[in-house]
Amino acid sequence: MTTCDVLIIGAGSVGVPLAWYCAQAGLKTIVIEQEASWGRGQNRAAIGGVRATHSDPGKIKICQESINIIKDLQFGRGIDLEWHSGGYLFVAYDEEREQAFRKLLLTQKKAGLNIDWIEPERISQLAPGVRMNGLRGGTYSPEDGYCSPLMTNTALHRLARQAGAEFRFGERVLSMTLEGDRISMVRTDQEEYAAGRVVNAAGATAAELASMVNLEIPVHPDAHEAGVTDPVERFMEPMLVDITPDQESGNYYFYQAETGQIVFCITPKPQIWERDCDNTSSFLPLVLRRMTRLYPRLANLRVRRTWRGLYPMTPDGLPIIAEPEGISNLLLTVGMCGQGFMLGPGLGKLLAQRLAGSGKEHQDLLDEFTLYRKFEGMELLK
Amino acid sequence: MQRIRKHPVADQRPAAAEVQFTFDGQACTGLAGEAVSTALFANGIKRFSEHRKDGAPQGIFCANGQCSQCSVLIDGLVKKSCVTPLCAGMDVRTIHGLAALPADNVTLEAKAPELLHCDILVIGGGPSGLAAAVELAEQGFTVLLADDKAELGGKLVLQTHKFFGSEADCYAGTRGYDIAKKLEARLRAMPNAKIVTNSPICGLYKDRKAGIYIDYARYALIDFKALVIAAGARERSILFPGNDLPGVYGAGAFQTLVNRDLVKAAERVFVIGSGNVGLIGSYHALQAGIQVAGICEILPKINGYKVHADKIVRMGVPVYLNTTVLSVEGNGKVERVTIAEVDKNWQPLLDTARSFAVDTVLVAAGLSPCDEFYKQAQQFGFTAVRAGDAEEIAEASSAIFGGRISALSLAKIMGKNVSIDQSWLDKREVLKSRPGAVIKRLPVQAGESWQPVFFCDEEIPCNPCTTVCPTHSIKLKPKLGSIMDLPYFEGSDCRGCSACVAACPGLAVSLMRRIDEQWSEVQLPYEFEAEAMENGCSVPLLDQYGKFVEDGQLAKKFYNKKYRTWILTCRLSSDNAAKVIGVRVQPAEATLPLPETSFSYLPDDAIVCRCERISVGEIVQFIKDNEVRDINQLKTIRVGMGACGSKTCSVLLPQVFRKAGVGPVTLIAGTVRPLMLEVGVAEILSAGNGSGRSAEGAAK
Repeated sequence: MTTCDVLIIGAGSVGVPLAWYCAQAGLKTIVIEQEASWGRGQNRAAIGGVRATHSDPGKIKICQESINIIKDLQFGRGIDLEWHSGGYLFVAYDEEREQAFRKLLLTQKKAGLNIDWIEPERISQLAPGVRMNGLRGGTYSPEDGYCSPLMTNTALHRLARQAGAEFRFGERVLSMTLEGDRISMVRTDQEEYAAGRVVNAAGATAAELASMVNLEIPVHPDAHEAGVTDPVERFMEPMLVDITPDQESGNYYFYQAETGQIVFCITPKPQIWERDCDNTSSFLPLVLRRMTRLYPRLANLRVRRTWRGLYPMTPDGLPIIAEPEGISNLLLTVGMCGQGFMLGPGLGKLLAQRLAGSGKEHQDLLDEFTLYRKFEGMELLK
Repeated sequence: MQRIRKHPVADQRPAAAEVQFTFDGQACTGLAGEAVSTALFANGIKRFSEHRKDGAPQGIFCANGQCSQCSVLIDGLVKKSCVTPLCAGMDVRTIHGLAALPADNVTLEAKAPELLHCDILVIGGGPSGLAAAVELAEQGFTVLLADDKAELGGKLVLQTHKFFGSEADCYAGTRGYDIAKKLEARLRAMPNAKIVTNSPICGLYKDRKAGIYIDYARYALIDFKALVIAAGARERSILFPGNDLPGVYGAGAFQTLVNRDLVKAAERVFVIGSGNVGLIGSYHALQAGIQVAGICEILPKINGYKVHADKIVRMGVPVYLNTTVLSVEGNGKVERVTIAEVDKNWQPLLDTARSFAVDTVLVAAGLSPCDEFYKQAQQFGFTAVRAGDAEEIAEASSAIFGGRISALSLAKIMGKNVSIDQSWLDKREVLKSRPGAVIKRLPVQAGESWQPVFFCDEEIPCNPCTTVCPTHSIKLKPKLGSIMDLPYFEGSDCRGCSACVAACPGLAVSLMRRIDEQWSEVQLPYEFEAEAMENGCSVPLLDQYGKFVEDGQLAKKFYNKKYRTWILTCRLSSDNAAKVIGVRVQPAEATLPLPETSFSYLPDDAIVCRCERISVGEIVQFIKDNEVRDINQLKTIRVGMGACGSKTCSVLLPQVFRKAGVGPVTLIAGTVRPLMLEVGVAEILSAGNGSGRSAEGAAK
């Protein structure tokens, strides 16, 4: 039986940074990952946006932390993650969106976000050539940005290893044994573990893992496709988000990476509730039609590649960060709803403080993202 | 202008209008409709753009629409010059750094992609794809054959040499491009077969659709029930410092420029690899009036057919065995190649290094199958078979049988009651055989009547000499009982017609007869320009291995139209009549090394990922720093993230991992996803302003 202080299941967007902070705090940390290497669940499919611009205080707090961590890696430690503070721009072309964004600004500003309403003229400076016809303005948060998920997760994995965390790839959890109110053993296809704390950071497979301790959690993955173009000289700064739904799709968003490519993604309508990660023929015509309508000059780009990943969704679009009742050594950090990449670093840092500390730290997050909430409504900026 | 105006075997292209265009403002002339890259070469321009990462010069590499190294700005947009047809007035420019996106603010009228339907989509119109499509159409399926080239036939189109094999089964003795036309004619005669040329398949999708890039200008989707993947093979790149300089490219790309487009792409080349591709590539260079300084082969023996190698050596090209390339150097282009012998661990012995002045290095270090679509199809659970090189690398002759066999196995899977003729299976096996034993022939002496002399002494699947002989006097001596056996002259009835001399793909048959005590005559095959040779002129005659024998005297010349081969009748001394088989083509000076060897040996500088310019050293360091075992992780440093989608570097990565101390067994393969090549956003939205045909219109 292998023992450790913290056993993290999942070496992805959330598990890897958590392992780094746990190991830094002196906890003996082991990470089990069924994929062949780090970040190969859904981190590989993240497009790279990192924003603190959310509609709820918890995610704002976590992502502000994430941005600080990423900036520290990029500028403090000199590890290139291709971070660019291009900001996030939510555009409004109708009354409904304008009202919603303006209303949200109050919450967002109260939470300390650097965000404001900007007029069409300013938008056309940030994204020259964007359709001006019908544009009412938008909210712009200049401190948000984007970076490479691959570079970020690789850097965090390397740092975690250097700090002493141990990673075990290609290993699958088969069962977890409950004794009293504790998980006494985690058995994989290769080994048995006893851990002070077990962390479920299993992303799209979190619900199956939870069911091994008879816990039902409302995390259901849906599939989203994304794509990347050839690189061109920088012409736009922000991540552009249009949340206006149409007949075939919900929101879509794209940005120009530090290396020049446009990276893009869309939420199809209806959502595709499946785990298949192979591409379909409908994605490109769907997303490109909307992108070129918003931004005509994108028509001159060339699409290089597409891929498909999963959003581990919860019913209300908010994550579950919880210590479930009756299982004293289990921490759930699941249901990131497609935002694991941006939430991961901040969440890792804050939760490691709790795991290594008195166990009371950041109770506000556990209160807001409890498993025992009603899961009503849907986060507007999801 | 560097065009090949006279070629001994290749046909001149149909006349095209001369058009004016500019390159970086400089006036150029090209032929309407030819690839922009070809027009640039014809104007002596080989350096097209600069890499955005470090300004490294970029030029032609695959000449095949796959790699994107030949990208240039054409009228403001980034285009692959090798698949963009030249139009009058084009403004072609070097890309410095990243290209600017044109500030075009007109909203497109987006349309859904056109949808084509078929029972079976055949990807690739080379020998196996054409053969498979014919069989499947005959079985009653609706077939759509898609090929990325304007002309069908795959690599056959570039093969100006006569083919080995058997005349009855696979058109042996016929030149590759003529074989392609015969196969194409059969398919075009089938009413239930559609052919879409000049249109690569650019992706397979899980919803059983394929994306097709029609005329490299419009995107459409194909709905199919089953797939035949006959996408051929691509040339393996190899790792040496300087492997990224413009002027280093595959022998196939070279054949495209020289044999298809008839541009004199080089003055003097060096060839890496002595397989059939390298040997034939060298031969094609010579035929185009390009010198070949030498061929190097890391193995201790020639890797291709011996008759091919003998033929090349006879032309005056040295083959260096146990020898590798150390570096290719030059200021923005290839100027010098340095080779060295290797020890028993394949490590170069630097003190054996020799440098040669060349402007082009052809890499012919083997082929790897284009089987990505097959692997994806399997993963997606599609009904699919593969054929030709995509299944197994072999000669085109065997691919024709392979295509038929794969087609019928697919028909069977799809419920047709068919059986596969055992003789096809046997023939395919024979045709893809590696060469067998080398058998020493007994000496022959010239008599008063004509008789053939055979200089083919290695067992290969080939028999045209036996089938063309009007008196049936040439027979295979039964040993293996297949067309692998060697031919011999039996009997006495040789009329001196020279059909065997002209038909032999290896140029390894002569005819001889004695005139008097002292003098004899020989008839020799010659595939170079002989128009200017006059009777009585002196002809430097060589033996099987290129050794000079004597200067003969031309007595007569005759052009065999069917085989496009000159037959030179030369007078020489009787003692030598049975020895000569070749005529020296290349002067010895072309093959001399530079008086001083000069190179820097920095193997870690070799480029692995050409699109993103990542070197061996960078990858090895990353693998070590991060304990990488999963090839997908190399995407962190952008390996495989470029335009080509890892088509070039993927075959090189296992050896880079080995260099980092990671064996191949523990490696996790990289994931392949659509698109397989870049397609314009406007083209996907069916709103491209290109002159593309509609999908339905393109399918003929």
